[in-house]
Amino acid sequence: MGAPGKTTDAVLACGEVRTCLLPTREAVDQQVAERLLRLRADEPVRVSKRPNRYAVSPDVLTGVDCRLPTANGSKVRAVGTVTSRAALVEGRVLQATAYFSAPAGGPDRRRPWGYYLVRPGVLVPIGKVSPRAVAEGFLTRHHQDELDVGSIAEGQLSRISRLLADSFDPPLTTTDTRVRWAASPASDGDEPPLRFTVAEDGLRTLDLRLPPGTAPAAAAALCEDLALHDWLLTTVVDKLDGLRLGSADGKAALKVLRPLVDHLLHLWLPKARVERPLEALWDALEQEPGFSRQWETQVRRVRDQLLLQAILTQREALGASLTTS
Amino acid sequence: MSGPGTVFRETSAQPATKSVPFSHLSLELGHLYMEDFVEGPDRLRGHFAAVRPWVDAARAGVGSLPAGKRPRISTCFLIDDYFSRLSTPAELIPPLLAAAAEAGLTIDYLARESGCAVSQPGRRDRAELAESVLHRLVESPPPGSNGFRPPVSRTGWLTNGRRAPSGRTSAALDATGAVWEPPSETGARGHSVFMDVELWSGPEDERTWSCAFLASVWQLVRLGLLRDNGEPVLTPAPWDAKEFPAEWDALPPVVRLNPLAAPFTAYATCSILPARFLPVEHAVRVILDQVHVEPEALRQVTVRSQGEGITVPAAVVDRTSYVFPPGL
Amino acid sequence: MLVFAASDKGGTGRSVTSANLAYHRALDGDDVCYLDFDFGSPTAAAVFDLPDVLSEAEGRGLHSYLKGKTGEPLRVDVWSRTEHPQLRSRPGGSGRLVLLPGDRTGGEFVTDDENLHRCVDLVLRLKREFDVIIVDLSAGRSYAMDLALAATSPRGGLGRLKTRWLVYHRWTRQHVMAAAELVYGKQGIVQAGIAMGHEADALSAAIRFVRAAVPNLESPLWSQVSPAQYAWMRQCDTQLEEIAAGRGIGKTRVLSSIPLEPVLQWQERLITDEDVHDRRIANVETWQKMGELAQRLTDDKYWGQL
Repeated sequence: MGAPGKTTDAVLACGEVRTCLLPTREAVDQQVAERLLRLRADEPVRVSKRPNRYAVSPDVLTGVDCRLPTANGSKVRAVGTVTSRAALVEGRVLQATAYFSAPAGGPDRRRPWGYYLVRPGVLVPIGKVSPRAVAEGFLTRHHQDELDVGSIAEGQLSRISRLLADSFDPPLTTTDTRVRWAASPASDGDEPPLRFTVAEDGLRTLDLRLPPGTAPAAAAALCEDLALHDWLLTTVVDKLDGLRLGSADGKAALKVLRPLVDHLLHLWLPKARVERPLEALWDALEQEPGFSRQWETQVRRVRDQLLLQAILTQREALGASLTTS
Repeated sequence: MSGPGTVFRETSAQPATKSVPFSHLSLELGHLYMEDFVEGPDRLRGHFAAVRPWVDAARAGVGSLPAGKRPRISTCFLIDDYFSRLSTPAELIPPLLAAAAEAGLTIDYLARESGCAVSQPGRRDRAELAESVLHRLVESPPPGSNGFRPPVSRTGWLTNGRRAPSGRTSAALDATGAVWEPPSETGARGHSVFMDVELWSGPEDERTWSCAFLASVWQLVRLGLLRDNGEPVLTPAPWDAKEFPAEWDALPPVVRLNPLAAPFTAYATCSILPARFLPVEHAVRVILDQVHVEPEALRQVTVRSQGEGITVPAAVVDRTSYVFPPGL
Repeated sequence: MLVFAASDKGGTGRSVTSANLAYHRALDGDDVCYLDFDFGSPTAAAVFDLPDVLSEAEGRGLHSYLKGKTGEPLRVDVWSRTEHPQLRSRPGGSGRLVLLPGDRTGGEFVTDDENLHRCVDLVLRLKREFDVIIVDLSAGRSYAMDLALAATSPRGGLGRLKTRWLVYHRWTRQHVMAAAELVYGKQGIVQAGIAMGHEADALSAAIRFVRAAVPNLESPLWSQVSPAQYAWMRQCDTQLEEIAAGRGIGKTRVLSSIPLEPVLQWQERLITDEDVHDRRIANVETWQKMGELAQRLTDDKYWGQL
């Protein structure tokens, strides 16, 4: 047996990040952020101000004992705990992550619960598993009785939403996104380090090959960062898509564009909390499909539209004053 | 969060967990209700006389230490000042210490049970210890728990398995789910011994903690596994005065009566208790089995004990042991 | 905004009108979702013309979610999934229109605290994503209604959300009396709400009636009737108005009257602009009244204490 809680023998890490707008009218300050993220009396909310304002709750554990999804349909039961946490970026975007790591094999029957509690965030299989089959199954399947880490992440969002029930007033409606990720150690093969797939209804999957020895927490942080920027991009693209362009209804356009400027455009800051060895994965996404490139195009569109509206409004006012005088 | 090579650090984002000293064994010399004290010195003398042989056995049981090492064992006694306060420290403590001394026993550390429940006087910034532990409970999942349906928790209670479903919740004209199911113990050997432990009662903002829950906190304190924002909790305060105060709250929650005592916190605990506490301690084990201790605190124990050539059981509950002697 | 659609009896056009209401709000640019809480007989999939959804929702619908069988209730994007030929291209400037269907074999079930928690969590989550949430409740006093009242009570978790109730009834003596009873009766919405901690005035201020399938005597539909028939119908209409007023559901409490629409007599469906102007199968008045209902839903002028 390795040292308790040690996860160096993990052959797989999987998780899900859910990203949404914090449903308050304005971004919240650090004090409120700490109140929302305080899950325990004896452990602080970690906050940082550089390179942007960020606060993250302590990790909490959820016990599970169920089947793991596998691509080949083989039945694998696992017991242990899933780690979850919630974080607030600039007091404006709320993210919840639930993740676990797994060794390739475990005891052939369930041990007393204390055995699992000293291995936080580890799901120990009953018997052996094929890491690849689980990674693929985790990304592609969802069966009712199998492990559901998404709901554990959602539980964090629900808890915070309930705290805000009295001041629930989002300045714009946005679609929540779910980034489901699986990370295996990179081998010498020519596999791409990352495969990012956009599915429908806010679901994305992320298949990662990470340098051996990467901590599951570091993988989770990378995925949170990718999820945040994917959500920003998704939201701005959606809003611009729905815009009735060229219409005389300038007010309607302004109603859509203004909240983007007020609440979202300043949040783009890739790699803010990504460990250096993992930055290369971000760079891969910058190459193809080019996250930042697309973002800059969208931001330009927002600004051009606003400029245009300003000119039109000015001209109207001018026209009005000319006819009245 | 920052990786290797990070130049910029923020202390608020990087919490530190302070370490505590460790004995090999924390030995608890019995537990009494307030009513027992009222019965007088004979009751106390009888208590310690019955405890005495088992203290020697527990000492012998620490096992083999690397050559030349003497076992570090500290003794402690917990006074119940939480559920009732029939007497004062000034009246209660001196006869207690005298009775122990008569049996050839030394009480190194004296603790008050309410110290496990409420925050220390003058330290309002600190969280209630019991509440902190409550937030650290991670319920053992009955088979089939997949995350969406966490074990159905009933506020203020904790089980070692799955409760019997309450009432009928199936859809109209849906026959499934309408039959009674018995409760079950997770990981039972054949048949279940199902236990449902009440952790607290009363309204949420002024809870009364249960004896079983406070006893679990007491075990975790002795095992040196609790921190408050990284700081050790219930650190023993030296007590040199001969006199004891007339108010329980004037006494620190844990006092060191013996200046030469080994550290209060230990790798393992042994409690010598009257058999009437057996159900409570069963409940304590159910609770301890489901407390998620801060990983860094666990790691410190592992590193320290390995350095001494000692193996400490990985699971927290396995670090506790009991003696329920006759005649106590 | 959270909208509950209720009715005492079946066949009041509650589901079909609510679906049209959702459609109009989405056309106006709101992000709208429609929750089919009609636990007995989910029908929304048919109204939105989503034939595959019924079987898809098996085990993944709202009942399964509320019962704790699935963490992710099925969501169906109406614009992209509907078989309705005129709906498939989402009009420019329109908002999202999403259906959360019920399970086909859900049936009624006894609600408990777990259901309530899940219901609250779901609504709060949808509130982040949508401007208008329309919840179609089953007819009569149902567990779904119980759940809705409990969730929106001050202690329920949704007490501070802007909530409105639409009570649908047809324009007949029986329907008018039943609708009044459903709201103001001994076991009605208001009394049940008070028992759960709702403030009586605030709750009744958030309730309005929608008269459905109302015959408009001036419309060409009735131009062939004899003078005697016309006089009799006119008299009935006046009497009904008196009954309604006497039971507290007179004109001031009516948000909108949807005229009798032959198309809806034949098929429960969305009435589109094309149905009215190109194909000319539906009456323009129906289209206008649906639009009016959608406008008034969020116009505070039509709500509040009377």
